[in-house]
Amino acid sequence: MLKSDKGTAAPLRLGRGMEQWSERHLRYLMLAPTVVILLALTIFPSIYMFYAAVHRVSPNPDLPWTFVGVDNFARLLTDGQFQVALRNTVVFTVVAVSIEFLLGLGLALLLDKFIRRLTFLKTVLMIPMMLPPIAVAITWKLIYEPQFGVLNEIMFRLGLPIQAWAGDVNLAMFSIIVADVWQWTPFIFLLMLAGLASLPVEPYEAAALDGASSWRQFWDLTIPFLKPVIAIALLLRVMDALRLFDLVFILTGGGPADRTKVLSLYIYQVAYRFADPGYAAAISLFVLFVTIVLSTWFMKRMRLAE
Amino acid sequence: MVRKLCLALAVAASALAISASAWADITILVPSGSEGDGLRAAAADYAKLKGTKVETVQAPYANVFEQGANAGATKSGVFDIILMDDPWIPFFAENGHLEDLTSYFKKAGVEGPDNDFLSKSLAICRNPYNEGPYVCLPYVGNAQMFFYDAAKFKEAGVDAPNTWDDVLKAAKMLTEQGGRRYFGYVFRGGQGNPVVADFMPIFWSYGANMFNEGRTKVTIDTPEGAEAMKMFMALRDVSPKGVESYNANEVGTAMAAGTAASSINWPNWVATFEDPSQSKMVGKISYSPIPAGTKPGSSEIGHWTMGIMAASKNKQEAFDFMMWATSPQQIRISAERGNPPVRASVFTDPELTKQEKFRHYPVLMEAIEASTPRPRHPKWPEIENAFGIELSKAVAGTIKPDEALKNSQAAVEEVTGLK
Repeated sequence: MLKSDKGTAAPLRLGRGMEQWSERHLRYLMLAPTVVILLALTIFPSIYMFYAAVHRVSPNPDLPWTFVGVDNFARLLTDGQFQVALRNTVVFTVVAVSIEFLLGLGLALLLDKFIRRLTFLKTVLMIPMMLPPIAVAITWKLIYEPQFGVLNEIMFRLGLPIQAWAGDVNLAMFSIIVADVWQWTPFIFLLMLAGLASLPVEPYEAAALDGASSWRQFWDLTIPFLKPVIAIALLLRVMDALRLFDLVFILTGGGPADRTKVLSLYIYQVAYRFADPGYAAAISLFVLFVTIVLSTWFMKRMRLAE
Repeated sequence: MVRKLCLALAVAASALAISASAWADITILVPSGSEGDGLRAAAADYAKLKGTKVETVQAPYANVFEQGANAGATKSGVFDIILMDDPWIPFFAENGHLEDLTSYFKKAGVEGPDNDFLSKSLAICRNPYNEGPYVCLPYVGNAQMFFYDAAKFKEAGVDAPNTWDDVLKAAKMLTEQGGRRYFGYVFRGGQGNPVVADFMPIFWSYGANMFNEGRTKVTIDTPEGAEAMKMFMALRDVSPKGVESYNANEVGTAMAAGTAASSINWPNWVATFEDPSQSKMVGKISYSPIPAGTKPGSSEIGHWTMGIMAASKNKQEAFDFMMWATSPQQIRISAERGNPPVRASVFTDPELTKQEKFRHYPVLMEAIEASTPRPRHPKWPEIENAFGIELSKAVAGTIKPDEALKNSQAAVEEVTGLK
C-alpha cells in the first residue's frame, strides 16, 4: 500500500502543479480561441478598412498605396451613384421595416390567443426567415418572371395587364420590398408574440374594471409594455435592411435605371468590379457610422422605455 | 481522448483546406456554364493522360473576375490559369496579373500561336489589342449572332433579315399579332453588362464607336450614336414587357419556348435551342451575322481565353496545359462538348459541319471574322457600368434617348479622364 503510495507521489505533485497552472491560466486559454477569431475576422479587417479608406489602392500589386487623406470621404459628396444608392437604401429601409413592423404586430395581436396552441403554425411562419436569402431571391425571381412567372400568369388569366415586376422602374423597388416583407415579417411577428405572451394580466384586469376600451388598453398598456421588444425588433431589422444585398443582386442587379441600387451593392461594385477598395472602404465606414448612430439612438430609446 | 481526437481532426481538416490547391500541379479558375464545364472536362483528360494533378475552381461569371483580380492583387498564386472573358484582358494584363507568353513560345521553339487560329481570336489575346505580346490563348470562340425564326419572319414578309430595318419591320408585325404572348424581338435590357452587350452591335452597325481611333476622345454622343439609339428604342417597343431586367437566361428561354421571334445571342445557346428536352424550336431557329445598319453589321466578340497568372508557381506546367488544351484535337473535342471553336480547321471540319447541331458554324466563323472587341480599356468594368446605367434608363423610359447618349458621354469621359 505504502509502496503504491510512493509510486504515485511524484505524478500527484506534477498533477497539482498542472492544476495550479491551469487554475491561473485556464480563463485565458478558454478565451484565446474567441480572441484569435475576433482579431482575425473583426479587429484586423476593421483596422485594414480604416487604413484602406485613407489610401488610393491600386489593383496592381507592384504599385504602392498612396495616402489620400479624406479624399475618399470627400468623393461621397459628389458621387451621384453613391447618392442614388443612399436614397434607395433609406427608402427601402423605412418602407420595408415599417410594413414588416405593422404587419408583424397586427398579426401577433390578432392571433395571440390562438397561436399559443398552434405550434405547427409557428413553425410554418418561421420557414421564410430560415431560408437562405439567395434561395428566397431566386424563388421571387421565378415568381416575378414577366413571361413565365406565376404572378403574371394569374394576372393574364384574370384579364389584368401583365407587369414587369422587377423590370419596371415604378415597380422594381416595390417588388424587392414585397419579397423582403415576405421573408422578415414572421421575425417581427414572433418577437411580438413572445412580447405579448410575457405581458402581466393584472393591469388589464384593472383597466377593464375601470371601463377602459380595448383601444385604450392597447395604447396605454400594450404598447408601453412592448416598447423594449419593439425597440429590439426594429433595431435588428433596420441594421439588417441597411445591409440588403442578396435580393437586389439576384432580382434586379440594381436596375432598372438605378432604381434599386442600394449601398451594399454599390460597395460590392466599387470594391470588386471597379477594383477600388479604398473608396469601397470609405463607403463601408460611412454605413458603419450610420448604423452605430442609429443603434445608439435605439438603445437610448430602449433604456427610456425600461 | 475524444477531445484530443476532435482537435487532431480539426487541425487535419484545416490543413487540408488550406493546402488543397497546393496539392495540384495546376489550379485553373473557370466560369460556371458550358465554357467552364468544357475546360474542366479537358483538365480531367489531361490529368489522366499526363499524370498531372489539375484542380479546377468553378465560379459564376462575375466571381471569376473578382477572384482573379483578388488573386492578382494579392499575388497569392492560388490560381495558375484563369479562363477570362476577353474584355477583362486589359485589366488583368495592365495591372500585372498576367504572364507575358513570349518567352514560353520561344522555349517551345515557336514564334507564337499557329495560323490555324482565327485572326480575330488571336488579336484579342495580345495586349494592346492585336499589337502587344500574347498574354493568353483563345479557348472558346464566342461571338454574337442574330437568331431568328425564319418561318415567322417569312410570314411577316422578311425572307432574310439583312438590315435592322428588316428586323424591325418583321418584329413590329409579329408583336402586333402576338396578343401580348408573342414578340418579334427580345433583348438583354438588364442594367450593366447585359444591356451594353446587346446595344454594342447595333451601335457599331450605324458606324458609331465609343472612342476615336487613337482613343483620345469619347465619341458616344454623335449623330451615328443617335441613329443607333433610335433603332434600339424602336426594337425595345416591340419587345416583351419586362425586358428592362432581362439577362441571357430570359432571352434564351423566350427563344427556346417560342415566345419571341428573334434576338442577338451567343452561340453556346445553339445547343439549348437544338435540344428537344429544352426547346420547342428544334430545327426552327436560323442563324445569321449581325444585320447591317448604315454600315455592315458587326458582332461583339466574347471569347473565353486562358492566361497564366503572374504569381503562379507552376508557370511552365500551366503553359504546357494551355498549349495542349488549345491544340486542334482538343479544340475539336471542346466543340463536341458544346463550346464554339477558335480554329479554322475545326470550323470547316466536314465531320462536324454535316451534323445538325453544328449547322451554325459557317455563320459563326463569319461573325468572328467580322467581329469587334468591346473597347479595350483597363477600366472597362467601370465604363460598362456607367454606360449600362444610362442605357438602362433609356430602355426604362426614365430619360430620353438623346439624354442617355449625352449622359453616357459625360460618364465615360469622367471614368477615363478623356475630356
